Amino acid sequence: MTDQTLLVLPAGIPWVLAAVFALLDGRRRWVGRIAAVGLGVSFVSMVALALRVLRDGPVEVVAGNWPAGVGIVLRADALGVAFAVVSIGVMLVSLLYEVSLGMRSRTFPAVVLFMAAGLTGLFLTGDIFNFYVFFEVSVTAAYVLTSYRERDYQVRAAFIFAIVNLFGSVVFLIAAASLYHVTGSLEMQTVAERLGETSPNSAITIAVAIFVAFSLKLGLFPFHFWLPAVYVGSHPPVAAILSGALANIGSYGLLRFGGILPDQLALGTYAVLILGSASIIYGALQSISRSDVSEVLAYSAIGQAGYILLALGLGGPVGFSAAVIYAVVNSLNKALLFLVAGLRGPLVGAAFAVGALSVAGVPPAVGFIAKIAVFKAALAAGAGGGTAGAVGTVVFVTVIFVGGALSFVYMFQIYQRVFLAREPQGGHVEKPSPRATRALVGVLAALVLVFGLWPEPLLVLGEEAAAVLTGSPGDVSGGGDSP
Amino acid sequence: MTALSAAFSLAPLLPLLVALLAAPAAMLAGTLKPRLAAPVGTAFAALAFLATAFTWYRGGGTVDLAWAPTWGMRFTIALDGLAALYALLATGIGFLVLAYSSRYLPLHLDQEGRPEAEGARFYGFMLLFMGAMVGLAMAQDLVLLFVFWDLTAVASYYLIAYDRHDPDARASALMALLVTGITAVLLLIGALTLYATYGTLSVPDLAGSVEPGVTLTVAGLLIACAALAKSAQVPFHFWLPRAMAAPTPVSAYLHSAAMVAAGVLLLGRVYPLLEKSQFLLDVLLVVGLLSISVGAILALTRDVLKQLLAYSTISQYGYVVFLYGLGGEYGAAGAAFYVVSHALAKCALFLTAGAITEETGEDRLSRLGGLTKRLPLLAVASGAAAAGLAALPFTIGFFKDELLFEAALERGGLFAALSVLGAALTIAYTWRFWGGLFLGEGRDGAGSLPAALVWPVAVLGGLVLLGGLFVEPFALLAEAAGAASYGAPTPIEPAYHLDLRPTNLMAVGAFALGIAIVASRPLWERGALAVSRFGEVLGPERLYEWGVDALNRLSDYVHRAEVRDLRSRVAAILLPAGVLVGAGILVTPTVGAYRTGEVMRGDFPLLLALVVVAVAALTTTFTRRHVTLALVLSGAGFVLALVYAFLGAPEVTLVAVLVETFLTLLFLGTSKLIPYKVLHDQAKLPLGNQWRRVFFSCLASLFAFAVAWSALSQPAAENTVAEEHVRLAPDAHAQDTVSAILADFRALDTLGEVTVVALVILGVATLLNRGRLP
Repeated sequence: MTDQTLLVLPAGIPWVLAAVFALLDGRRRWVGRIAAVGLGVSFVSMVALALRVLRDGPVEVVAGNWPAGVGIVLRADALGVAFAVVSIGVMLVSLLYEVSLGMRSRTFPAVVLFMAAGLTGLFLTGDIFNFYVFFEVSVTAAYVLTSYRERDYQVRAAFIFAIVNLFGSVVFLIAAASLYHVTGSLEMQTVAERLGETSPNSAITIAVAIFVAFSLKLGLFPFHFWLPAVYVGSHPPVAAILSGALANIGSYGLLRFGGILPDQLALGTYAVLILGSASIIYGALQSISRSDVSEVLAYSAIGQAGYILLALGLGGPVGFSAAVIYAVVNSLNKALLFLVAGLRGPLVGAAFAVGALSVAGVPPAVGFIAKIAVFKAALAAGAGGGTAGAVGTVVFVTVIFVGGALSFVYMFQIYQRVFLAREPQGGHVEKPSPRATRALVGVLAALVLVFGLWPEPLLVLGEEAAAVLTGSPGDVSGGGDSP
Repeated sequence: MTALSAAFSLAPLLPLLVALLAAPAAMLAGTLKPRLAAPVGTAFAALAFLATAFTWYRGGGTVDLAWAPTWGMRFTIALDGLAALYALLATGIGFLVLAYSSRYLPLHLDQEGRPEAEGARFYGFMLLFMGAMVGLAMAQDLVLLFVFWDLTAVASYYLIAYDRHDPDARASALMALLVTGITAVLLLIGALTLYATYGTLSVPDLAGSVEPGVTLTVAGLLIACAALAKSAQVPFHFWLPRAMAAPTPVSAYLHSAAMVAAGVLLLGRVYPLLEKSQFLLDVLLVVGLLSISVGAILALTRDVLKQLLAYSTISQYGYVVFLYGLGGEYGAAGAAFYVVSHALAKCALFLTAGAITEETGEDRLSRLGGLTKRLPLLAVASGAAAAGLAALPFTIGFFKDELLFEAALERGGLFAALSVLGAALTIAYTWRFWGGLFLGEGRDGAGSLPAALVWPVAVLGGLVLLGGLFVEPFALLAEAAGAASYGAPTPIEPAYHLDLRPTNLMAVGAFALGIAIVASRPLWERGALAVSRFGEVLGPERLYEWGVDALNRLSDYVHRAEVRDLRSRVAAILLPAGVLVGAGILVTPTVGAYRTGEVMRGDFPLLLALVVVAVAALTTTFTRRHVTLALVLSGAGFVLALVYAFLGAPEVTLVAVLVETFLTLLFLGTSKLIPYKVLHDQAKLPLGNQWRRVFFSCLASLFAFAVAWSALSQPAAENTVAEEHVRLAPDAHAQDTVSAILADFRALDTLGEVTVVALVILGVATLLNRGRLP
């Protein structure tokens, strides 16, 4: 299979299937199953593409065989495939979850497939406006998904979600237009090259607009105000998709545009670090006394996003790879926890416990790898930095430690209240969820443990993705030297 | 041949493999048939013990495999002396405790009316605990060590919360998890700090390269904190007495060979690093002394059997920490010996407490006594164990104190005196425990304890006596362990000497003082109770509870401050966005960055149009009626379309007019569909905080204005891609450039936007039909 085909397949399959399935009734069992198989094939091809990229370096195609920049450049590099694999994986599990429980909405499979196509395209494009288009496809699918269940408060939450996120889209569009104005190109690498000649002032305002747009998507403090309402009202697989797949747009966007605007990122380091730290503490603090599982998870998501931002601000190869690793691990955690939150029966509590341990950073769950990554980033930031560096290291290590300690408190308070105390004690037993659904979250929990015990693939992925951003030799394909 | 030698080089893995396989094996057996879990688990514990002993007999060895090379993490395990000692304790005592549990647990479950099947969970976690301890003992890589370290925390969490219907058990488990789990992160930070400086996580390599200095002191303190919390040392000790909510075999195991022992195991493991800093050793010394005294005094005041034993454990591990703090070869080997002799005695005493509570249904000293006649064998066996704990001659315990006195003497008179006082206190509370149970008036009649609740105690008591007679095997093990910590041979020669050497005098002094303390109870009892009361009011446990409570209240408080309604949610995003742009402008040079250009005569119509748009936009902010609002908005839109026309973009103008027409119709149509009353009520918004809204709006406008102005002040880039598009349009067989862009150059975008429209239609249709599309 040629590289070009491999690059097109992951987004192409769900896109075509989605167009067909929009016309069919998703509640029919076979429709859901075929959709899941289609998304499965897309996932497999995505993994194959990821392996190819990790082995041979980035894969690039220009749509319509035009010169790069004239036509839209599609480029799969380690950073993009890392996010694409985990996002599609989370969506696949969520779709299977809904299939195994019995689909209650006609449009669910089609919308999930549309979102998968949008997300894959977004992670694999090398063109800023094309990025915006795929971004719109994904978030529009998300607007439809959040109104999936029809209770009034859910529709109200969906409305809040749509309004606030449309605002974010407009902000990003302003930034994209400005970037085109000052560089005359939409192709990411060309934009990055030409930005050096722009006045620092306009570059920084553009950078801030981009930062605001993606922070909003990721749900960072203080841009998070849409998030709790939406996650709490959502159906478990929808919440899992929003938190485990859609939110990746935010972390990916921050990283990708951080790579395009490195000088501006350096200039805004303090703001990024402060907001990241504030997010960690604020999210964790909010989570502690929440009594509903999904509410705890929603606020926890704000705190976890803070770690990603903190790692981004700490920067350098160690910081960027920490941000990627943290984002991937957080997706897995959130998908597992949101899906488990909707289930009852044997082993459900155990699966939740695995997720809780992972969020708290307790081995052998994979979360501890992510915690090590950010600790390393904080320690590396201080190396060779004199007194200021040492103070910075102490401050950030403390923030990460305190955030982790608080996550211990909130994850296990809610675990004890909801899962440990409620497991059947003879007498009254709640009706357990279907076995297939429980097995599915069991597989996800096992995955969280496996990557904790064998973290090497994750570390390599993080390292390669960071190399894309720092432009270390051997990993940047010349976007310019393609025909 | 090579395969065989390869297999041999992996031989040190054997104990770990067997120990780690035990938990799944017992779980599986228990799932198949609940009754099988106990024998399978016990057998696996015995196997693990034999595997450890066999491998140690064969000379131990090291296995070093790549684990996560990107981060320099290695799977390095070694069966050195220290590992052998703790692994033998974990598996050997594990075996006895599990054998005891095979009878105890069915009784326990039966009393609580729980099904027998729940036993599998117990054995699973007990054996996981054992496997984790073996791994912890053998791990040489600090991150690998951290993995096993937290695994013991997880296992203990589930074991303490084993009676999970009991709120007290759950709260205790949470406390144990929080205290040991959060401090474990300090171990991780310490390890990573060392890695950042020395580039290795392997303890032996670090021992070779670490230099005294700030890095070592900080990393050592962090690691020691984790170890001290795990070993329930002051001020982290409070979780241990609470952990007594667990079933008794769990407590026995936790105190003697697992969890609490893990802390001093870590100290022994990183001792080569700690000993390079006198400051760190002094910290250990102080913490050890504090724990010895706090634990002992509180043990003298407790009435509940297991509570008394728990405080005794705190005190006893205080000795171990104290010994490490004293340093030197006697310190390292003495600490290892102390752990063994304490483990045997303490485990026996816990099992005794469990058996007696099973027999009598009582768990308080004040309601027990005179049990010798009813339970003679138990009385003798636990008597031997108690004698061992109290360090009487002809028990293994005598030598632990001998080593303690020798190490203390090396450091000077003050420490010698303190250790004599400590030994006396130990004698006092041990007497209180054993004497309180077995002496005095009691009812006659044969006891009805099953044999499995007695013989493990007898075995342990026998071992305590055996160690008093043949101390060599234990001494050799402790020497090997000491050598692993100390980095050089640590010869110890525990023996009886019938002379007036200082250690003997100290022992005699301790006995005398101990008897005096027992006899003078009325004199000091109120004082001890006052200390206990003080700890309850101002101690760290209070601090913990206050902290958790305060966090929850703070969380409630912050949550109430979160915004709720849509307007505030949007405003709350506009505010930081505006502030950030302002900050961005402040940190960059603005001279020449904002330009206005020149206004020509021909621009006046354009300016007029823009002014109209601005006025319309302002008008929206104080328009109340929805219809008016729609008209004002569309007015702004149409004039903007006019602006495009001025700028010579007819296509865009056409599109804009079309869009505006649709939007206006849509707004008007929608407001017709909504009942008048609803619209009317919604229009009457409260006017409170108007200035705040004005402020937010202005800030947001400034934000958008600044971004647009600063970008537009830049000269448009040269050689834009648009020129390429114009040049290449004929190649795309297009009549005009816009078509070429839409249908060819950027066809993917067009397709994407079509998809967006399709999705929106799908979503709107779903909403309109409340999710019930045909």
